[in-house]
Amino acid sequence: MAEHQGLLSGGWDRVVHNKRYMVWFYILNLTLALLGASAFSNQAHDYLDHSLQSDRLVNGLSVATVIEMFAQPEFGGAQAARASGVHFALAFFLLTAVFLPGVLQGYAATYRLPREDFFRACGRNLWRFIRLMIVAGIVMGAVAGALFGLHGALMKKAAESTNELLPFEVAVLDLLIIFLVMSALRIWFDVAQTDVVLSDQRAVRRSIGLGFRHTWRNLGKLLGSYVATTIVALVILAAGLWLWMKLVPPASVVGAFLVTQLTLLLLLIPRFWQRGVAVSYYMQNMVEPITVQPFAPPSPVAPVLIQPVAAPVIPSAPPEPSGS
Amino acid sequence: MKTRWIIVFLPVVSVIAISVAVREHAARAASPQPAPAKAVAQAPGVVQASHSGGLSIPDTTLAINSPTAMSQRVVHYEIDAHYDATKHIVDATEVLTYHNTTGQALDHFPFHLYQNAFQPNSTWVREAKVAGSRDTGYDKWEDKEYGSEDIKNLEVVGQGDLTSQLHYIQPDDGNKDDKTVTELRLAKPIAPGEFVQFRIAFQTKLPETQARSGWKRDFVLGGQWFPKVGVWWHGAWNCHQYHATTEFFADFGVYDVKLTVPQFEVVGASGVKVSEVNNPDNTKTLTYHGDDIHDFAWTASPRYKLKEDGIYQGQMGPVQMRILMQPAHWSQVVRHEKILKESLEHFEKWYGPYPYKTITLVDPEPDSAAGGMEYPTFITGETNWFTPEGVHLPELVVEHEFGHQYWYGMVATNEFEDAWMDEGFNSYTEVKVLDSILGKKTSIIDFAGATLGEREGQRVGYIGVADLDPIAQKAYDYYSFNSYGGITYGKTASILLTLESIIGEETMQKAMHVYFMKYRFTHPGKEEFEKTVEEVSGKDLKDYFSQAIDGSPVLDYKVLKVESYPVNWYEEKKSMFQKEDKNTVYRSFVWVQRKGTFVMPAEVEIKFDNGETIREHWDGVSRWTKLGPYDKKAKIESAELDPDHKIQIDRNDFNNSYRTEPDGKAANKLKNYWLFATQWLGQALAWWAV
Repeated sequence: MAEHQGLLSGGWDRVVHNKRYMVWFYILNLTLALLGASAFSNQAHDYLDHSLQSDRLVNGLSVATVIEMFAQPEFGGAQAARASGVHFALAFFLLTAVFLPGVLQGYAATYRLPREDFFRACGRNLWRFIRLMIVAGIVMGAVAGALFGLHGALMKKAAESTNELLPFEVAVLDLLIIFLVMSALRIWFDVAQTDVVLSDQRAVRRSIGLGFRHTWRNLGKLLGSYVATTIVALVILAAGLWLWMKLVPPASVVGAFLVTQLTLLLLLIPRFWQRGVAVSYYMQNMVEPITVQPFAPPSPVAPVLIQPVAAPVIPSAPPEPSGS
Repeated sequence: MKTRWIIVFLPVVSVIAISVAVREHAARAASPQPAPAKAVAQAPGVVQASHSGGLSIPDTTLAINSPTAMSQRVVHYEIDAHYDATKHIVDATEVLTYHNTTGQALDHFPFHLYQNAFQPNSTWVREAKVAGSRDTGYDKWEDKEYGSEDIKNLEVVGQGDLTSQLHYIQPDDGNKDDKTVTELRLAKPIAPGEFVQFRIAFQTKLPETQARSGWKRDFVLGGQWFPKVGVWWHGAWNCHQYHATTEFFADFGVYDVKLTVPQFEVVGASGVKVSEVNNPDNTKTLTYHGDDIHDFAWTASPRYKLKEDGIYQGQMGPVQMRILMQPAHWSQVVRHEKILKESLEHFEKWYGPYPYKTITLVDPEPDSAAGGMEYPTFITGETNWFTPEGVHLPELVVEHEFGHQYWYGMVATNEFEDAWMDEGFNSYTEVKVLDSILGKKTSIIDFAGATLGEREGQRVGYIGVADLDPIAQKAYDYYSFNSYGGITYGKTASILLTLESIIGEETMQKAMHVYFMKYRFTHPGKEEFEKTVEEVSGKDLKDYFSQAIDGSPVLDYKVLKVESYPVNWYEEKKSMFQKEDKNTVYRSFVWVQRKGTFVMPAEVEIKFDNGETIREHWDGVSRWTKLGPYDKKAKIESAELDPDHKIQIDRNDFNNSYRTEPDGKAANKLKNYWLFATQWLGQALAWWAV
């Protein structure tokens, strides 16, 4: 248990000492989302700003007004805006993959990682991370596909029951199991990614193998840490939405913006915390100890007869000239 | 055991346990029920003819709070039905006494066999596959979807066995594979004023619930389950095939129905329960009686929880409210009873008395496609175990289906040909009643800051299909199921709300009351309604009705342009920093446009930046018009067409107004939602995939 807490607290320390990464990722997230939302924003401003009908959206959220807006051919539909949003969300995902090696390097460092080292780590590991993501995608996709297939079959069967709550209960249990299994896979590849970066491992397959072995051997404490951080994420999300609904007046766009952005900033913490946990785990369990050669006594050396040497005669220093 | 093995085994064991539990539960649900009812063999005559001596229709009043019959009773159905809960089969005998009130001799009779609609080549399935339906798209045919209704034997009293004279007809589309209407040619015609009695043995196999009829798990809803004679209407038989978008049409009369079901079933049905007798074979026989109704439906499930102590004191007498709830919804029984009672109160107050002694509200099996259906004195609601208080969908469904007791149940319009007159009228009164009970802007949703009102909901349903179909057409002639829904429900409700703004709310209410009282227990059409409204309001509304009901023009008004400029604009400013003079006189104009082809007068409100407001009237005849000039020491701040939002059928409300200074609050608010969603999506992707 103490070890378990050690992982969480070790991970937390790394997050706290490297807050700048989270802030940068948040700025990246916000910037890309602003770009992603700009198409929708322009559309909405063009359509709503001069219409008195838009007042119905200000002091509350009239669902009919929103539906009507999207239904109007003059509004132009939401496809283009939605595509733009999805593309920029994908961009954030890809850039996360690009910059993550630097973050891991920074988390492992006992000092503030210089910027050039950060980007060097990113560049050095880019291709390795792409390979890792492909393998992770195949493994996680296959497992998720199988699990969701099973989930679908179970739900179909549960739907035949006369107990109306059974499908819901089955869904909750199923999804919990799927979450745990997928978290375990996520841990596996998190550990592998950490190993790739911190061991400067070119052979990605070795890190994947190592990651699997370590995850398997320490599944309990690693999964415990990941589940705990996920719960934190859920609490942050729920609290953020609650604050948004309860405390922010419907007409306050600034208030809503601040609450949502604070929520999204805080939502980054749990995942960075998980990365910190992976790095802590690596430092505690995967760093290969420095091998020290056993001390060998020197072989006996024949005594060398040293002739006594007459002490050199050191001349006395010349007297310093007086005066200057 | 090491932690990792526990972690691995736990999910595996859980999955196995869930699978076993689910399988056992499902198997229990699907297992044969004990003591299936014994099928009644061909036994015409099991039920006695209605009266000793000659044939007649009973003048009973057991099921109504009236000392005399309230309708012209054309039919008397006596049905003795045995339900096999294992096979979902009803074996029954039906004695139908028909009174020829048509004024002419009748030598043939058409009968609806609705359950034959659920066959792969039926018109119903063909249409549903192409145009959509409420429940299923029939991507793949499954045997459990099969339904049938077979007349095993038909005898006409005094004319003998005429089973061989039955033949299927397809009056609507000529689809020879459709067996939803059968016709019988008599050897001897039935003279005007005479009675004829048909003694029928039939078997109905119910499908897994489709179109609010059939079985699901151990639940069953017996709707449209027996052979029903057509209606002699406008000088001819009216007996349409069953279509994917149509409902029903039948004559008023008396129903005496015996249902034999397994003893463990909890049963609800149209009319009043007369008796319940346990049989030695673990079945029980329940007898129901209905007066002045035109259909009979029933339901059974071993798991219903029943509340029947609610009594509503109606204008004509007490009404027993029987509520059959799913066990998981029992916590919502008070919600259901409350809205049922409030609906009764509003309808009695505004439209007319509810004459029946009972109203049965059924909360059907979840996910059964049986929710939201109306039969005389019997309705189905729809809810979920998790429906929160602020989501008023259960209230909406109960109110809507109750409303059908008036618009279909008593004012029995032809649902094949004038679907708008029951669904649309009912949607209109639904707006009125729910607005009154739950608030104009919150009658559907009032949850987590989001609101949706019933009148907005009806309008939203319409605007997506505004230019597809006219209201006044046969229900099976609509372009699609969506168009049928959007026009018959949404557009009709919207045109009636608009009509209300033309003649006034009180006048409209009076017109609906007069229409109800005058035409209850009859089969009125469009003309009767239009005439009533014109008479009550004293207005010539032909132009409005012709556009709104007969045609499909779309109404779309727009504020095209707003302009204000200084009258002495040609005088140069002394410097660019010179402030605007408060005494500057501006000349202003507003251009309004009629984009659609629907012509209707409208008001235009023009607001100036000194707080002054002007209202103008525009007849809407020309494609556009220029309002003004207005020479004032103020510029126009905004212009709005239909400022009181009286016109519910405008396809686009956003272009009805224009403010000169843009206000970005709404757009920024929506943008914030969009931003949040995009950021969250990015984070979620990065969480799981990197």
